[in-house]
Amino acid sequence: MSKINFYLLEYAFSYIVRHKSKNIFIVTVFTLLVALLSSLFFVTSSVTHDLKERIAYKSDIFIQNYKAGMPAAINTKLLDRLLEIEGVTGGKVEVKGDYYFRAKDSNFYLYGVDAFEDQEDPLIAKLLQKYDLDDSEMLVSDNVQKIMSQAYYKEYFNFIKPDGSLQKVNIKDSFDVGERVELKNLVLLSKDTLRKIFGYRADEGSDITLSVANKNELEFISSKIRLMLPNAKVISKDELEQSYEKLFDYDNGVFLSLFIIAIFTFFIIIYDKANGLSSEEKREIGILKAIGWCVEDVLHAKFYEAALLSFFSFTLGFMIAFVYVFVLKAPLLGAIFTHENMLNIHDFTLGVHIDFSYILLIFLLSVPVYIAATLIPSWRVATLDADEVMR
Amino acid sequence: MIKLENVSKIYDENIKALQDISLEFKEGELVILKGVSGSGKSTILSLIAGLSKPTIGEVIVDGKKISKLPDHFAASYRRDNIGIVFQKYNLIPELTVEENVLLPLFPLNLKREIMKEKAARVLEKFTIAHKTGVMVRNLSGGEQQRVAIARANINDPKIILADEPTANLDEKLSREFIAILRELKSKKRTIVVSTHDPLFFELDFVDRVINLEHGKLL
Repeated sequence: MSKINFYLLEYAFSYIVRHKSKNIFIVTVFTLLVALLSSLFFVTSSVTHDLKERIAYKSDIFIQNYKAGMPAAINTKLLDRLLEIEGVTGGKVEVKGDYYFRAKDSNFYLYGVDAFEDQEDPLIAKLLQKYDLDDSEMLVSDNVQKIMSQAYYKEYFNFIKPDGSLQKVNIKDSFDVGERVELKNLVLLSKDTLRKIFGYRADEGSDITLSVANKNELEFISSKIRLMLPNAKVISKDELEQSYEKLFDYDNGVFLSLFIIAIFTFFIIIYDKANGLSSEEKREIGILKAIGWCVEDVLHAKFYEAALLSFFSFTLGFMIAFVYVFVLKAPLLGAIFTHENMLNIHDFTLGVHIDFSYILLIFLLSVPVYIAATLIPSWRVATLDADEVMR
Repeated sequence: MIKLENVSKIYDENIKALQDISLEFKEGELVILKGVSGSGKSTILSLIAGLSKPTIGEVIVDGKKISKLPDHFAASYRRDNIGIVFQKYNLIPELTVEENVLLPLFPLNLKREIMKEKAARVLEKFTIAHKTGVMVRNLSGGEQQRVAIARANINDPKIILADEPTANLDEKLSREFIAILRELKSKKRTIVVSTHDPLFFELDFVDRVINLEHGKLL
């Protein structure tokens, strides 16, 4: 089978066309199987990539104060105590939070910045290198600018403070968040201004973040802080990662996919086997043998037939999945897979990040299995005496 | 020369198709195998073609024990030496006349020009060249018969086996087929025809008629 025999290839193609109703059924099932599984894996790869990127910019330990079970402001003096913990190499008080803009039914993510602080997030760091913000200014994402301008706030925006008074902040400029869709509603402004908007005192923030030298000690340090601050919520980067994984239920997704692939592939095989080779198909193999084809020639043609059909279906399924996930942004499926009630699919870019090992897995579990399921019954018939054609 | 030496063929469920048959067919001979259905005529053709193996005995063609040939060699033996004309033509209806005729040569992967040339020659010879690109299912019975004969002759085989070749033809077409047989015989082909069509028994160019009954020679 080293050299391609185009006559056998043409014969195989004509065989597929001659048995079109059966083959259309197989191509449809096969394509759907590959499209479904590829879509699952595309969403998996893409969202996993997205989540990993988000976690990459998070601090090692995140501490939020709670009062009566509700998130509350945290005192900045706590930072000094926390920095004394062995293993903690740095930290800062953050001022941030969502701001609901009722006129446009939108949430802005307000993030307080200080020109003298290091920023873990490369997008924010880059913006602060470019712009000097004073207390009366803010930088808004393109999306926020669009929302604000729809409400006729083109030069400035009036934030409503807890006491009902207004805090006017000028829009210095807008920025593009690129693929960082999770930051599409980001507003950067000075910490002091944000404290005023949220009603914090000068010695208060929304949370404290810490960095730790040895990542293996994250859990140990986190438990120390929990003992120190019984009312605080302490989340380590590890825990955040785990909670994302749980949310996405990555392992179960893979398991479910494998389960589906098995069911569908076996469905095709069972269909083929249940039908076996029809008397017409058996007769055709008999004719081919009678006119001088050997078993190998018959299997060669059958191999081409199965390969043409399965490669075509696989490629078609792959392309459908690609368009469905990366162009159409996976309506329905994406929402299911990202637990829409907890994470909004629109927060994910679904950028083209394909884990080819899974595509290879789908290929190996479908194409060779189908080829084998075609070759085995043909081989059985081809090795029998072909004298039936004489009767 | 074709020799069957003490050949018996027993199918499953102990059906004895042939019982201890010994026969010889000389080169260039036209032999008619005569007998009712189930007499063993087709089994003899199938054994000569190497499509099945005898349960007992040997089938020898030109000194080669073809009943012992492995599949690959049996296939090339058939392709190079045997042309079979089947009762039901056994063409592939959805392929064109040319494709059907060339089907035996597909595994050889010859150059396309050579294939075309071979097909044109044989289709011309059996006066079906005007239907080259037509699908076989659109041909009449007589035309299909000519395509089947053309296919059987694509490799100029030494031996032509015809199994009830006129069973589906009217008398006019049967006589056309007989004319083709006459021509093939004139070219020194060894021809074995299994039939119970009386038209064959009065032909002057038939060398022998062998009668079979219940798998035995009469």
